[in-house]
Amino acid sequence: MEQVDTIAAVATPKGESALSAVRASGPDCESLAQAIFGRKHALSPRHAYYGSYASQDGEIVDDVVYCFFAGPRSFTGEDSLEITCHGNPLIASKILTDLIARGCRQSDPGEFSRRAFLNGRMDLTQAEAVMELIQARSDRALKAASNQLRGAFGRQLGVFKDKLLSNIATIEAYIDFPEEDLPDEQLEAYVKGIQELMTFCSRLIDSSQYAAFLRDGVKTLILGEPNAGKSSLLNLLLGFERAIVSSEPGTTRDFLRERIILGPHSIQLMDTAGLRKAQSDIEQEGIRRTIELADEADIFLLVEDSSLPSPTLPEPILKRLSRENCILIRNKVDLGNESPSTLPVDGCSSIAFSALTGAGLDSLKSTLLQLIDSSFSNDEDDLILVNARHGVALQDLQACLNSALQKLEAGDAMELVASDMRGALDAIGSILGKIDNEAMLDVLFSSFCIGK
Amino acid sequence: MNDGGNAYDVIICGAGHAGCEAALASARMGARTLILSGNIDTIAAMSCNPAIGGVAKGQIVREIDALGGEMALNTDVSGIQFRLLNASKGPAIKSPRAQCDKKVYALRMKHVLEHQDNLDLFQATVTGLIYKGDAVVGCRTNLDVEFFGKTVVITTGTFLRGLMHIGKNKNEGGRMGDYSAKTLSSSFLEAGIELERLKTGTPPRLLGRSIDFSKLEEQKGDADPTLFAFYDTRDSFDMFHVEHHGESFAGWRPGSDPVSCWITYTTEETAEIVTRNLPLSAMYGGEIEGTGPRYCPSIEDKFVRFEGRPRHMLFIEPEGRNTNEYYINGLSTSLPFDVQKEMIASIPGLEKAHLLRPAYAVEYDFAPPTQIYPHLESKKVENLFFAGQINGTSGYEEAACQGLVAGVNAALKTRGDAPFVLKRYDGYTGVLIDDLVTKGTQEPYRMFTSRAEYRLLFNHGSAELRLLDYAKRYGLLAESRIARIEQKKTQIESSVAWMETHRVGEQTWATLARRNDGDRTLPQEIESLPKPVKDETLYRVRYDGYLKRELRQVEKLNSVESIKVPGDFDFLSVSGLKKECALKLNQLRPASLGQASRVSGVNPADISILMVVLGKRK
Ligand SMILES: Cc1cc2nc3c(=O)[nH]c(=O)nc-3n(C[C@H](O)[C@H](O)[C@H](O)COP(=O)(O)OP(=O)(O)OC[C@H]3O[C@@H](n4cnc5c(N)ncnc54)[C@H](O)[C@@H]3O)c2cc1C
Ligand SMILES: Nc1nc2c(ncn2[C@@H]2O[C@H](COP(=O)(O)OP(=O)(O)O)[C@@H](O)[C@H]2O)c(=O)[nH]1
Repeated sequence: MEQVDTIAAVATPKGESALSAVRASGPDCESLAQAIFGRKHALSPRHAYYGSYASQDGEIVDDVVYCFFAGPRSFTGEDSLEITCHGNPLIASKILTDLIARGCRQSDPGEFSRRAFLNGRMDLTQAEAVMELIQARSDRALKAASNQLRGAFGRQLGVFKDKLLSNIATIEAYIDFPEEDLPDEQLEAYVKGIQELMTFCSRLIDSSQYAAFLRDGVKTLILGEPNAGKSSLLNLLLGFERAIVSSEPGTTRDFLRERIILGPHSIQLMDTAGLRKAQSDIEQEGIRRTIELADEADIFLLVEDSSLPSPTLPEPILKRLSRENCILIRNKVDLGNESPSTLPVDGCSSIAFSALTGAGLDSLKSTLLQLIDSSFSNDEDDLILVNARHGVALQDLQACLNSALQKLEAGDAMELVASDMRGALDAIGSILGKIDNEAMLDVLFSSFCIGK
Repeated sequence: MNDGGNAYDVIICGAGHAGCEAALASARMGARTLILSGNIDTIAAMSCNPAIGGVAKGQIVREIDALGGEMALNTDVSGIQFRLLNASKGPAIKSPRAQCDKKVYALRMKHVLEHQDNLDLFQATVTGLIYKGDAVVGCRTNLDVEFFGKTVVITTGTFLRGLMHIGKNKNEGGRMGDYSAKTLSSSFLEAGIELERLKTGTPPRLLGRSIDFSKLEEQKGDADPTLFAFYDTRDSFDMFHVEHHGESFAGWRPGSDPVSCWITYTTEETAEIVTRNLPLSAMYGGEIEGTGPRYCPSIEDKFVRFEGRPRHMLFIEPEGRNTNEYYINGLSTSLPFDVQKEMIASIPGLEKAHLLRPAYAVEYDFAPPTQIYPHLESKKVENLFFAGQINGTSGYEEAACQGLVAGVNAALKTRGDAPFVLKRYDGYTGVLIDDLVTKGTQEPYRMFTSRAEYRLLFNHGSAELRLLDYAKRYGLLAESRIARIEQKKTQIESSVAWMETHRVGEQTWATLARRNDGDRTLPQEIESLPKPVKDETLYRVRYDGYLKRELRQVEKLNSVESIKVPGDFDFLSVSGLKKECALKLNQLRPASLGQASRVSGVNPADISILMVVLGKRK
């Protein structure tokens, strides 16, 4: 009954696993695997292969293990493909994006389970249990999406949508109201309009949260008084010297961003200027920046010199801390003269540490992983979904605009140009929510005097 | 007739464009049908402009013809000027339009009703419905005669509590010169069917001999008229023309001897007159409560909302061959009569024009269409169907196509057969009905091609091919015509295949045709095909990629469309469905999962859940 296409999604196992899985289900699975891994022959079902995942543009994304399941002996009852890659959300997301570029469709929430049920691979009680999860998950994904759209990206998209609508309304007016006394059709104006949209679109792609997410990962802020050992900690985590280390307080005046991969997570470390009553203007400025950074940070590493009394933190920062997002690092334990400490927030982890000797590093890493896993990874899956979807939508958008432009320039029929422009509107709609034709008609009737 | 008891299968209330198609469809399917109208002198009256067709509407008329309706033939016979709109803009949006002789149009339709087997025509105003339990069983009339029927179709247009405005002047009536149906509304309310108000307007009519045509621009019809009905699949040229009554048909062709329309413009003076008198307008003066359409602004609206525009174009259209009355397309208004006169005198060519009828606005009750199923039956009252302007639409074509669907469904219902539901991808008629029953409407709903997501599939020439399965299943066309359509279909398919496989040099004819280099000569094999076959073949070849893309989307849609929601289904009982979503769906009671998916606020996760739960039920 159901016309089946091939769907794909990230199915990242939660928690400590250092692996991510991307799966696909539908008729194209076998040919996809052959294309991706350059295999000429049929795959044996349920056999784990090792290979390099090559994206459509030829980039090797990761070395992965993949397994093909021939329907009906699979979870969904259809041909399926499971790709297990290194546990880095970047990689999983790249693979998903590539699968979509190759013609898969990002699965609807719960679609794998739905297919499993409809193909008789799951009974109703199981299915109903899954349904509850689907709803919860989709609510979370919606929340993740709407959080993203609240920012600058969302605002830009909104502006873009309005521009697109007014371009479309102009074209539709000529199609639906040829009898009206509209100003002469101006091809150059259409072309110019679309070119503007395309420039705007590339800017959007560059500035999209999608790109930002892939760039940034989990934002982790290193905080502490000057000379507590923040830069040393950063260097230790990075495995190389990046921050200038000096015993002169206030050396790290501006902040540094570095990225490390920890387990399945991509982490952006931000080292900050020290927190203390500033002497100079430059330091003053540094502290202000730190407070700003604290607003966007997900995790806080609070470094203190264990030989000194615990410092008091500025109020705006204290407010951001909780046991779920904060680790106290008692540095310089190698000095051997610990003074009593107070936790910045109740119940947060405290680690005896030495940036000099590396003591406590393993404990720090595992605590950090735990924090990220428990407070983050659920949402993060959704974030990957949301982001991959946005990325794909923006690329669709670009392709549609491009095709519309080519047609206009080649003098093709207006209805075909319009068809591409609607494709563009649908692409935006898949991010912002479906854009009803009524919205277009509103723009049309308010910009053109139409009617008998 | 008039014999009481359960005499009729189908009773149609109203003989407008919806009512006529409903009555003919049901009678032609063999159901014993009665059509009632308060005034049988105004059967199929064109209340507003003397034209049928236009963009999207022209395609609808061809769909009506493909489903055995009458509007296309009636337009071809009464048309006095034909023009193909969008001729240069692309084949999918090319749309036929005709100026019609209003009186001829109405007279021929009356003649067709009179001669239809299984159909009785009677003049009486329906004053109320007769219910039995949750079902309708008949109607009462102003003549104190009651009629009983297994089903009743309401096609009363603008007549329910119709109120016309000219400035402060008010008259009751569905249109000028006609009556107002005052009591039927309460019969709906009594059954729990909600009503709301809408408004629309019509421009003044002028006497032709008082117009100075030398000052107007002439707009001629096409030399080679594009007709509405499909003649290549019909037995013979089986039409008749009231003007040619008794004569041999030989020599006469529809569209011959066209008349012209004329163009003029408003002036600065017109703008000044309108703006100065705004407070006297029924709409601007607050006399009217109903909502008017965005796409059909009154002249008041035009000057207020588009203040900077120096002038507005007006078309002067003849109302018929044998009348000197002209319709001023573009000058709809509810300003008082003396202001209308002043306004008209400020327009070039109309300085001395004599008004035959003033412009007016009309307010009327409509029944918000989310209260009916996609087969147009009421969700509240069984066996009661609604079609036409009563459903919140505007336009003759929009009314007629609904009438046809309602008539077929009423007849099917009397036999206990499953309903006839057109899908969004079948054509404009499907889009129209789905929009109405799923989203309702805030203004009189008119069809635009932009409302259809599969516009490229809806080129006017393909209507017969698209709707063939329905015509066959419900017996809407003569056997011989069905056979010819099937033949045409095969011929098109094989011609397309021929072009895809035969080569000139390196390339296939298809590849060459897809290249946009104008009128290259076609091979004899294609050139020699009958025009409708050739046109459709070339269309399919040239648009191959786009058509495939739209068809893929259709297939996807169809997968949810085919999952029916049982009438007694309680969405609140589905665990996992958000409550607000369940409440909304319970209220609308969508007939299929596809319809549910188009309700605003219902997201893909909800549809996934419903798919599982509804999958269980079968
Ligand atoms: C003033 C005016 C302006 C309009 N302007 C436009 C326009 O600009 N553009 C446009 O596209 N369309 C316009 N229309 C709309 C167009 O005329 C209608 O959409 C179309 O005619 C509707 O068809 P219908 O069959 O639903 O109803 P109608 O054509 O209105 O027919 C209703 C029929 O029902 C009968 N009837 C009503 N009540 C009863 C009863 N109780 N008992 C028995 N019989 C009854 C009437 O006698 C009539 O035969 C206008 C209509 C009017 C009146
Ligand atoms: N003994 C000891 N010295 C440390 C340790 N960590 C950092 N230091 C020293 O403390 C000083 C300040 O370190 P730095 O990383 O620049 O501090 P920041 O100002 O917080 O960035 C440097 O001289 C470091 O060598 C540690 O664990 N033990």
